[in-house]
Amino acid sequence: MLAAKSITKQFGRIRALAGVDFVASRGEIHALLGENGAGKSTLIRILTGILRPDSGQVTLNRIPLQVGSAATALRRGIAAVYQTPMLFERMTWEENLALGRLNQRRLDFVQVTAEAQAVAADLGFTLPPPRTLVEELSVPERVRLEILRALRSHPQVLILDEPTSILSPTELQPFLALLCRLRSQGRTVVLVTHKLAEALAVADHVTILRAGKVVGETAACHTNEAELARLMMGEDRPRPSSAPTERRQPGKPVVQLHQITVRSADRLVLDRVSLTLHSGAIVGIAGVERNGQEELVEVIAGVRSASSGSIVVADPNCDRREAIAIVPQDRDGDGLILELSLWENLLLAPRLRRRLVSRHGWIRRASAIQLCEEIISLFNVRAYSAKVPVGSLSGGNRQRFLIARTLAATPAVIAACDISRGLDFSAAAELRARLCEYARRGGAVLLISADLEELFELCDRLYVINRGRVAEVRLGQQNMAEIGLMMAGHFADETESRPEK
Amino acid sequence: MKGSLARTLLALALAAVLICIMLVALGASPINVALAFWEGAFGTWLALTDTLTKSTPLLFCGLAIAVAFEGALWNIGADGQLLAGAMSAGALGPMLSAWPHPLAVLAMLLAGAGGGALWGGTAGWLRARRQVNEVISTIMLNFVAAQILSWLVHGPLIERSHAYPISLPIAPAAELRLYFRPSRLNFGMLLAISCAAACYALLYHTEKGLELRAMGRNRRACEFSGINTAELTVCAMALSGALAGLGGATQVTAITHRLYESFSPGWGYEAIAVALIARLNALAMVPSAIVFGALDNGAQAMQRTQGISPVLVQVIEGAVIMVLLALDATGRQGLGRTLKGPMSQAKKATDDVSVESVSQLEAWR
Repeated sequence: MLAAKSITKQFGRIRALAGVDFVASRGEIHALLGENGAGKSTLIRILTGILRPDSGQVTLNRIPLQVGSAATALRRGIAAVYQTPMLFERMTWEENLALGRLNQRRLDFVQVTAEAQAVAADLGFTLPPPRTLVEELSVPERVRLEILRALRSHPQVLILDEPTSILSPTELQPFLALLCRLRSQGRTVVLVTHKLAEALAVADHVTILRAGKVVGETAACHTNEAELARLMMGEDRPRPSSAPTERRQPGKPVVQLHQITVRSADRLVLDRVSLTLHSGAIVGIAGVERNGQEELVEVIAGVRSASSGSIVVADPNCDRREAIAIVPQDRDGDGLILELSLWENLLLAPRLRRRLVSRHGWIRRASAIQLCEEIISLFNVRAYSAKVPVGSLSGGNRQRFLIARTLAATPAVIAACDISRGLDFSAAAELRARLCEYARRGGAVLLISADLEELFELCDRLYVINRGRVAEVRLGQQNMAEIGLMMAGHFADETESRPEK
Repeated sequence: MKGSLARTLLALALAAVLICIMLVALGASPINVALAFWEGAFGTWLALTDTLTKSTPLLFCGLAIAVAFEGALWNIGADGQLLAGAMSAGALGPMLSAWPHPLAVLAMLLAGAGGGALWGGTAGWLRARRQVNEVISTIMLNFVAAQILSWLVHGPLIERSHAYPISLPIAPAAELRLYFRPSRLNFGMLLAISCAAACYALLYHTEKGLELRAMGRNRRACEFSGINTAELTVCAMALSGALAGLGGATQVTAITHRLYESFSPGWGYEAIAVALIARLNALAMVPSAIVFGALDNGAQAMQRTQGISPVLVQVIEGAVIMVLLALDATGRQGLGRTLKGPMSQAKKATDDVSVESVSQLEAWR
């Protein structure tokens, strides 16, 4: 039994947790719910010994856990998977799995790999090619690697921070089945999630946090989605409606991708991709990751040059870098600079930079800070001020800030990956509404995601990407399953024939 | 800012305690040694001005290093860039006899900045276009600069009697005349302090400076934001080299008036310590450079009056840096926030540097 008693934690002037009690018994799946910035991640970091609470105590089977010691927590059988993967970037994934085996003297990579393969097969995960460095893996691959690493030590308590948002549809079911299997073995699973339906389907107990306090603790069978949503957001706020249903009128073409081909080593990563983005239209690309999405975004961003093909911006007076704004998948690695302040990060958007920098290159500091504060309050980014480093924000708030920056720059095109990653549903719905609004005003949007429901809700046109090829599919609820199968079927197909390095 | 200043002072105090223990162990009186040190470094007008004069090249090189390090460009080549600047100025100097004095000095300074920029820019270009690790290329370019200097003073530029390996003196018109008499302290220090202010403004108040600092913390995010990192790399390294080169040129025009072998006693390396103690802050670089200039001057006084080996000064410098870094590692925030971004990148960079080049650097220092 994992129990936390009256935990309090303060960061500077912000109180993250105020007297939180949390109990997860043996052999149960315990869902921890809450909006962005409610204190979920802080609580988890305290449970796993990474953070030291200001007051309060964590006990495992009634024995207190040494405060602020992650090693002790791990040795006592508490393993965790964090929202931001904590892996050694410049080591191979096998080395990452082998590290942290606290009681083993010799490193046996053959055994490590074999074990990983067994667990991965069990979960329906696909392992990356052998001896791949972690820095070359995509975000979902890293999260899967973390899950494998956490399971490898056969933990008593497994804590998962938002693992499901990153898993592909084919992987979700085996993963939830595995959680149930862990439960039947008498282990404890703490699941942090924003997907209420999922939490209710699999969890035994639910604890809801709001603004650093526990506002509800109940058995999952005694509650429903509406009640949970009300608890998470508080009584006074209505549940935001989803994206407006009015259809948009697609206008002129803004950007044309013409026969983009990318070769990496001997692999064809993108194969003659042609797309046209029209103003006022949202185009979706559905796909399981590692099918070329990352490279496509890099080509659009101008970070990678295509082997052949071209990108044409319709307006000849517009610089491509300014016309197309990117919301990259790796928010912290590619999108933001965590050590710089919010307002300095704001200036990374080329169009905002042009607006906030004088002709001679001097930064209009006061106006930049003022604009940043306006954006913070407009998009409900929870930050103490515009001058704090972005790294001090919670994951969901970083995502919000990143998208706020992108929208504030009013580019002609937004190419965005996984926009609602790490966001609670009200924040995600708000962002979707804003994107729709942006498109309605004549912006062109390219959405790249594995979340079919989101794509169906937002898109005017939808493509499926598979092994570097894109194909347009008809939109309509009836072929959702078909599209899902298409993404997944091809994915299984790829694993068989993926060329080794 | 306040916290980091307090920590720096604390580090200096802790280092002082360490030194005292060492002095007692050596059988010297810490108080007498400290008095001698103070006398030699700041005690008289002459000592004070000499300290400031000695810190001038350190300040230029420290700024050069700060500009590069802020962009996570590990310029270990300030010494070579300073020599390149000194050589350009020293080669130009003898030809300027017909020029009016202010123009001649200006030409010397521009030549120095240009030479340094060429040296630094080369390393930047190699990094941007050919992915050559700048740690290795800048160290190598240091050797190249030192060898070219040696060839110059033995060959093409050798003085008229051909007896000594020193160059022709620069034309009198090119000699700096702005001094704070009676001392060697000159306009160079004022120029260096102005450069410090300019660097600060550049890094914290201009678009290019922000881009550079952003590149030092997350190169990939910059590329996603449409910043041309290749161009920025070349420009930052060229600017870094130009600052070091200015240091070399002021030394030639104000102090030495000619070139000779071992022109630099290792200013470019010592300046790394200067820059790190100032936490790459261009304004804090001024006191930091003066502290190191004072260490040098004070050491000579210690040796003269107390018989303490000047090697001990290197021990002091080492102790200060180690204490500072140790405090950085244990400090929570504020402390070295400037450094944290570039420093985590540094770990990545050093992964790539072969063990040989590091040991070579060690030997060179």
